[in-house]
Amino acid sequence: MRLLWVLVLMGFSAWGYAAQNNYEFDDATQRQQFNQLTTTLRCPMCQNQNIADSDAMIAKDMRRKVYQLTREGQSQAQIIDYMKARYGDFVYYEPPITVATIWLWVLPVVFAIGGLLMVLKRGKPAPPEDMAEQLKEAERLLKQDKE
Amino acid sequence: MKKVWLVVLPLLVFIGGVGFLYQGLFSDPRELDSQATGKTVPAFSLPDLMNPETIYTPGSLKGEVTILNVWGVWCITCAVELPYLTQLRESEGIRFVGLYFDQDIDPDFGGKVLAQVRQEAKDMLQQFGNPYQFNIYDTYRDLSLDLGVTGAPEHFLIDAQGVVRLHHIGDINERVWRNKIEPVYSRLQQEQKP
Repeated sequence: MRLLWVLVLMGFSAWGYAAQNNYEFDDATQRQQFNQLTTTLRCPMCQNQNIADSDAMIAKDMRRKVYQLTREGQSQAQIIDYMKARYGDFVYYEPPITVATIWLWVLPVVFAIGGLLMVLKRGKPAPPEDMAEQLKEAERLLKQDKE
Repeated sequence: MKKVWLVVLPLLVFIGGVGFLYQGLFSDPRELDSQATGKTVPAFSLPDLMNPETIYTPGSLKGEVTILNVWGVWCITCAVELPYLTQLRESEGIRFVGLYFDQDIDPDFGGKVLAQVRQEAKDMLQQFGNPYQFNIYDTYRDLSLDLGVTGAPEHFLIDAQGVVRLHHIGDINERVWRNKIEPVYSRLQQEQKP
């Protein structure tokens, strides 16, 4: 039972990093926006970390900027645009849909449909053979062997 | 006819995949599409690193093709490139302006005082060479953020009108200078001459 608890608590450790900043907020909505933004904005320096997780100076500066802008009452979309204007689409984990990125969504669907079509086309069972006829033939061969 | 497609289609997919992965071998994930390039330098009003009475604005960068160099004493690659930058300044008369920032002086992060930072910067420039006409002190790193700086060293090639024409992440060495920066630099110099 204790082990189970430990395992459950370990599952929560992923949220631990959000608590490391001692930024103070007026209300819970702002805090939530801050936490959401810092986990969805990507650190330009250590490229596979979000800015909540990264210890790079740039990530700290970006966190501070997000905090500032959140306190000023800017919306989530406004802050994302602010960061995109400086660091490009790269900075936000959700890529925009463009001619180059549309394939991320289209290709899996194309593959799934293609595969399904292939299975359907090939899946027709072979015409049932005449069992009685085959048994007769086997019988005949056996007899032939015996003679 | 159908049989042919069964062979050709997977082959085409395979070749496409190989091509895609192959070019990935030579692409640099640090190469971001800079948002600063092609735009005028964002508005700022920041003091000189050594002399806080002197205040710089984007106008201070205009009038001459300039390389704005983001650096700091804590940056080891910066120390490595300083001698080469100094050599470029001396032999080719290139105008370098430093954009200095330091995390440790920020009350949020560390306890350094400004005088200490100045002394460290002076020492470093004395030891490795000083390519800078002056150093802008980016107190809260707002200008760095506006320019899309990710770390140090970084370089912005700025034309005489104050428009960023090239953003280079990483140091300038002989190879980078000759292949990447010098061609754009001399083109900008040409544009200057009517």
